[in-house]
This record gives sequence, C-alpha cells and structure tokens, in this order.
Amino acid sequence: MNMKLETLVIDPPAPTRKIGGVILDLQNISLRFGGVKALTDISFDIREHEIRAIIGPNGAGKSSMLNVINGVYHPQEGRIVFRGQERRQMEPHMAATQGIARTFQNIALFKGMTVLDNIMTGRITKMKSTFVEHALWFGRARQEELAHRRKAEEVIDFLEIQHIRKTPVGRLPYGLQKRVELGRALAAEPSMLLLDEPMAGMNVEEKQDMCRFILDVNDQFGTTIVLIEHDMGVVMDISDRVVVLDYGKKIGDGVPDEVKNNEEVIKAYLGAGH
Amino acid sequence: MQFFFEVLIGGLLSGIMYSLVALGFVLIYKASGVFNFAQGAMVYLAALSVVGCMEKGAPLWLALILAFAVMTLFGIATEKFVLRKLVNQPPIALFMATIGLAFFVEGLAPMVFGSDPRALDLGIVDEPIESILESAGMVISKFDLVAAGVAAVLVTSLALFFQYTRIGRALRAVADDHQAALSIGIPLQHIWAIVWGVAGFVALVAGMLWGARNGVQFALTFTALKALPVLILGGFTSVPGAIVGGLIIGASEKLAEIYIPPVMQSLFGGNFGGIEGWFPYVLALLFLLVRPEGLFGERHIDRV
Ligand SMILES: Nc1ncnc2c1ncn2[C@@H]1O[C@H](COP(=O)(O)OP(=O)(O)O)[C@@H](O)[C@H]1O
Ligand SMILES: [Mg+2]
Repeated sequence: MNMKLETLVIDPPAPTRKIGGVILDLQNISLRFGGVKALTDISFDIREHEIRAIIGPNGAGKSSMLNVINGVYHPQEGRIVFRGQERRQMEPHMAATQGIARTFQNIALFKGMTVLDNIMTGRITKMKSTFVEHALWFGRARQEELAHRRKAEEVIDFLEIQHIRKTPVGRLPYGLQKRVELGRALAAEPSMLLLDEPMAGMNVEEKQDMCRFILDVNDQFGTTIVLIEHDMGVVMDISDRVVVLDYGKKIGDGVPDEVKNNEEVIKAYLGAGH
Repeated sequence: MQFFFEVLIGGLLSGIMYSLVALGFVLIYKASGVFNFAQGAMVYLAALSVVGCMEKGAPLWLALILAFAVMTLFGIATEKFVLRKLVNQPPIALFMATIGLAFFVEGLAPMVFGSDPRALDLGIVDEPIESILESAGMVISKFDLVAAGVAAVLVTSLALFFQYTRIGRALRAVADDHQAALSIGIPLQHIWAIVWGVAGFVALVAGMLWGARNGVQFALTFTALKALPVLILGGFTSVPGAIVGGLIIGASEKLAEIYIPPVMQSLFGGNFGGIEGWFPYVLALLFLLVRPEGLFGERHIDRV
C-alpha cells in the first residue's frame, strides 16, 4: 500500500456534524477459524455519527472485524455492547433489522436484477403488508409498495444513478456496481453503515465521487460509518478516528494524525512491504 | 387434421404434468442455486404417504392432509439438518447433499409405507369426454383434462406468488447471493423452509396425478428425469419457463411419436417406435447448443 496523500482533493468533513456517545463497544474480541487466529483480543469503540476507519495490511482481520460487528462471525471471546445492550448470539440477518447495513469487499449484488430492484431489496425488512394483501394488490400493499419505491428513487437521485436505474447490474462497470451496492445499503436507512473497501479498484475520479457520497451520507443523515480502506490519503482525509490492525492484533487507535505518527503503525506498513 | 389436434391436445395436457414436476425444481433452484436431485424422491414420498395413510384406513381428504404434513415436515427438516449447515458452501456441496437426500428418502419411505406398487384412486375416471367425442370426434381423456386443470391452477398461482410478493422478491435475492441476502435482513432459513415446503406441496400434487395415472411405485422417482428436458428448454430459474417448456415437450414428444416413424421407415426401413422416450432429450440437447440459458432463463449460468 502506498501512502499517497496528494492524489485526492476532498472537502473536509462538514463542521456542523456532532459526534455522539459510544454506540458500539467491542471488548476483548478474539476470533479463530480452526488454527487461524483472525482476531486476537481486540477492543475499540465506535461513536454515533463518526466515520471510523479500520486499516491494516491484507489478512490483518479487517473484514473479519466487520463480520463480527454484523453478526456473521461469532467471536469465541469478548463482549459486544450495541446501544448499551450486551449482544447475545445473533443471527446474520438480524443486523439489518437493528439498523446496520453493509457493502462487501467483493461486490455482492443481485446480478440478475436491475439497479432499481437491487435498491428495492434494501427495503425488504421494512415491508409489512401480508401475502394476501400483496397478491390482491390491496390498499395497504399498494401504498406500501409506492412508498418504498419513492424511497428507492430518492436513493437513486442521491447517488446520481438515474440513467441506469433499469439496467441489470451485471452489465454495469465495476465502479458503478460499487455505487449501486452502496445504494442498496442506504435504502435500508441504516443508522450504521459498514463499508468494506468501497473504493478498491476505482480510478481517482470514481474515488472522489465515492468519498463525496460517504461524506454526504454521514453529514446529511448522520449515519455512523465504519470504513475499511487501503488508500491512506482517503482514510486520513475523511475519518474521524482510525483503528489499525496487523496480524489480527490492534496496533494503533486514534485520530488520523496520531495514527500517522505511531511508530508501530509505520513499522507494520513498511515491514509488510507495502 | 382432427387426428393431429387430438394428438396435440393430448400432448399439451400431459405436458402440463411435466411442468408441474419441473416447477418443483425451479423453486428450489431459485432459492438455493442447486439442482435438487431429490425432487423425484419427494414425488415418490408424497404419493406413498397418501396411499400409505389410506391403507391404514384414512379417507382420501385426510390422507392428503397427512401427506401434506409429511412433506412440510420433510421440508423443514431438510432446511434444519442439511441446508443450514451448508450456507456459503459451493453449490456442488449442496448438490451432493440432495443426492444423499434422494437415496435416504427412496430407502426410508418404502420401509414406512410399504414398497409394493399400488393403485391410487382419486375418483376421476380415465375415459374420453363424450361431448367432445361426439361433437369433434376427438378422444380427450377426462382425467387428463382434470389433471391439467389442477396443474394449471397451481402453476399459475405459484408464478404470481413468486413474481409479485415480498417473499418472491426475497426468494430472488436469496437465489442470487446468500451473503448479500442476509445483509439486507432476509432470514435465509425461513425462505429455504418455505421454498422446500412449497416444493413438497408441488411434489404432493405431482405425486397424486402421476400416481393415479401410472400407479404408486418406485418408478415415480423417474418423473424427475422427465423434467430435465423441460428445464433445459424453459430455463432453470423461470417459473413461466417451466410451464412453456412442459407444454412444448409434452406436445412435441407425442407428435414426434406419431409423425416421425412413418417418415423414417420410408427412408431407412426398420422399426422406429418409442421415439417418445428419447425425443425430448434430443430436443433439449439441440436447444442446449443454441440457447443454453433456456427460453426464459437468466443468461448467467455460474451455478451447476
Ligand atoms: N470464513 C473464514 N474461514 C477461515 N478463515 C478465514 C475466514 N475469514 C477470514 N479468515 C482468515 O482470517 C484472516 C483475516 O482475514 P480478513 O479478515 O479477510 O483480513 P482483511 O480483510 O484484513 O484482509 C485471514 O488469515 C483469513 O484467511
Ligand atoms: Mg478484507
């Protein structure tokens, strides 16, 4: 990974934003896959409305951390306190109902569906009408469908993808697919958004767009954002706080300036040959 | 010409029965991205449950309800004990699991309900409809017509269900990407249980109709093979495809059976009977070369 700090010109986070109290507290998390220690005794917290970056070399355990937050992986040790409540065993689909949405390192869109349909699926947990109402296209079902449709269109406008709304996502270029995936996550109106390398493989211009969207989401909707990203320039520019992982251990945590000057962090990046 | 229509209609009617079996495959393929090798075994299990219960003294309606309970339990158990362990595994692992499931069911069901072939009487006679015979001079079986009607209603309501409901949308999402479906809050387990339950119900209806026609016996498991060319024609992911595919296969195999042998005989001599048995597969093979995703299938085929 190269520490390119000069490639991107990004507006700094809007000063109006107020960072709140701790919304998610991760305490002494350890996660193993057989003999592989993906995460070892990691503690950090995430505050409401902040942009919290997780960085580290490949295989450091960043994605695993996101999967722990999301309830997909269950750590063998540690406590997770979400909104003041200790989390018990959680089914993977429950994160969405608790207001946690995410995107994936390898795009996971519904390839056969159009952009609009993909974004509509983001609202699936919010749909209430029963099958019968639905089947008969009855009052509530009808109103509901239209309301969801409006929300989806708002997301589409927000991400400036009106021109591809009816395109099957499989046909879109990579950068746009990433954007649609963000759209599906946004459609759920999450309070927390987990982004796993949302800018990987993008050119400078696409990255700039993506940065702008992330900042706007954070600013306009107050969404708490957990961001995994390799581009140091982006990370240092847009995050409020950064946690650094290496070989499954936490080696740094703080505001960007602190992390940038942390001896261990610098060593990890140089040592890993990036 | 009249004879042609008689053959054509007979073919279309039996084709709907193929659609019915194909539909079971499509549902499960859509939900779990896997070719369910056990579909034929499920048809057998369903039919056996019905005759088994009737032998123990239950009237037909009760036997049907009990058989439906059996199929629902089977669906839920399959999800709980087999599929749940295989989330995020490659599709081939799921496919292997369904093979195991097929042998398990084919072994267990006859142990519970008895293995000897039995007749199943639904109270619908298999004889020509007189009014049509008199007015048009065509032989159209009453049983075929009723069976086709039942199948048509079922197929249509399922098609609507999956096209226009929230569960349908969830189902399509699950079919496409498990992880992503979970991340937007779709409970994979419920969807799978529902789909296997519905597939069990479809198997029950198919088992009734095929069982009443050909007897309840182990050969019912082979109805699954009849569905293969239908699926190739219609596409593995399309409910309308299963319907149209079934109609095409049904009609074309009957027409081929009647009209191809005389031509072949005059050209090459010899006996060309039994074309019905392999014609659908040849048709499917040709189709595969021209349009591998099927008439209605989605173009990406990355799961086998
Ligand atoms: N589902 C899994 N099964 C087995 N090992 C895994 C799994 N997920 C992650 N790992 C292992 O955990 C470690 C951390 O991986 P990951 O969290 O993907 O790192 P990063 O996202 O920082 O590149 C790696 O050694 C990886 O092989
Ligand atoms: Mg990763």
